[in-house]
Amino acid sequence: MGHGRYIDPICGNHYKVAAGETLQLTYVILPGESRSIDVSIDLMGEGANLEIKALYLSGADEKVHIRTLVHHRVKNCHSRQLIKGIAGGSAEVRFDGVIVVAPGADGTEAFQENHNIVLTEEAKVETKPQLEIYADDVKCSHGATTGRLGEDELFYMRSRGIPEKEARTLQMLSFLSPVIPEGRREEIEAAVRGL
Amino acid sequence: MLSIQNLHASIGDKEILKGIDLTIGKGEVHAVMGPNGAGKSTLGAVLTGRPDYEVTEGTITFMGKNLLEMSPEERSWAGIFLSFQYPVEIPGVSITAFMKAALAARRKAQGLPELKAGEFLKLQKEKMAELKMNPDFAKREVNVGFSGGEKKRNEIFQMAMLEPVLSILDETDSGLDVDALKIVADGVNALRTPERSSIIITHYQKLLEYVQPDVVHVLKAGRIVKTGGRELIEAIESKGFDQF
Repeated sequence: MGHGRYIDPICGNHYKVAAGETLQLTYVILPGESRSIDVSIDLMGEGANLEIKALYLSGADEKVHIRTLVHHRVKNCHSRQLIKGIAGGSAEVRFDGVIVVAPGADGTEAFQENHNIVLTEEAKVETKPQLEIYADDVKCSHGATTGRLGEDELFYMRSRGIPEKEARTLQMLSFLSPVIPEGRREEIEAAVRGL
Repeated sequence: MLSIQNLHASIGDKEILKGIDLTIGKGEVHAVMGPNGAGKSTLGAVLTGRPDYEVTEGTITFMGKNLLEMSPEERSWAGIFLSFQYPVEIPGVSITAFMKAALAARRKAQGLPELKAGEFLKLQKEKMAELKMNPDFAKREVNVGFSGGEKKRNEIFQMAMLEPVLSILDETDSGLDVDALKIVADGVNALRTPERSSIIITHYQKLLEYVQPDVVHVLKAGRIVKTGGRELIEAIESKGFDQF
């Protein structure tokens, strides 16, 4: 405990998860706002669990910045992060995800994934995962992709009579589906249609 | 029904179809056979309006309309269907949601009211039963984790749901065992009416034993080099494509 070199962020939300507890964080950023999410989580007690799901949809000249700092301070804690979003217009999106595994925090499992789709040439996505591992027995991974909507899928749907715009909507919803919170599908579908 | 004249098509800088002439009448089944790389799949892609293929010369008329001016979805609404050689996976979209969207769009384009949820599900269940598909299939994500045979059966299921006027089957027989082949053939034959036509693209004769074509074409290096009846299938089987 109390490793002074791991500094918590100065601003933003800070959570501590005690032994055996589970913290679930869900974030949804819809078009129409520029927003920063800055969150740091300390897994303080053995067997603490963290699940982060974040979804963003941004267009126009919106700026989205998501920053997560997950600190595995003790043994046998698990964290899972899934961040997915779509950037249109000339939106600028940035994701910084830091995972720190403290010395002695063996049995850690920490996974982080960030997947992005850009709809235009002007939209920008920058993603920067960072792992700092000071323990030996850990399972950690991170993955980040940024791509476009697949042309093969699009043509397949259109060849079945699904109009191009509707096909793109279905594609986007299919991409986002793992991060759509329960009960918010309609709202997100409407936002996707308006993108 | 379909008239193709002097059709030239390219992908990138490469010309693949080099002057195709083909006329298909109502109720006819045409087989297009040829070696790998002859342009068979390109023909299917061009007929359905795949954006990465460019038609550089020639015309295609389908039921009196200029097909080349129509988008892929408009061609579908007009009754053209392609059974893909390599069906595409769409994660997160169930077969039910997919078919609902497809049928709703087509009915809207035809000025028909949308099917009620119950009517749609009943239709879907019937078509699945005809193709001996497990009803649980409807809940699965489109083509995700499907075996080769399941993908092809799913294509035929979609064909049965959409009841096309002109079906194009691109190598639908490849990767199927005999039982699956018979089911697929039954699906194709079920749509065989005096009003509907099909193009069966293949380089084997397997499927053609079960779905007997009226006309057989041999496509080689982007051109139709021979047209005849079923006797051509036998000639290909015994002497290959080099004779043409």
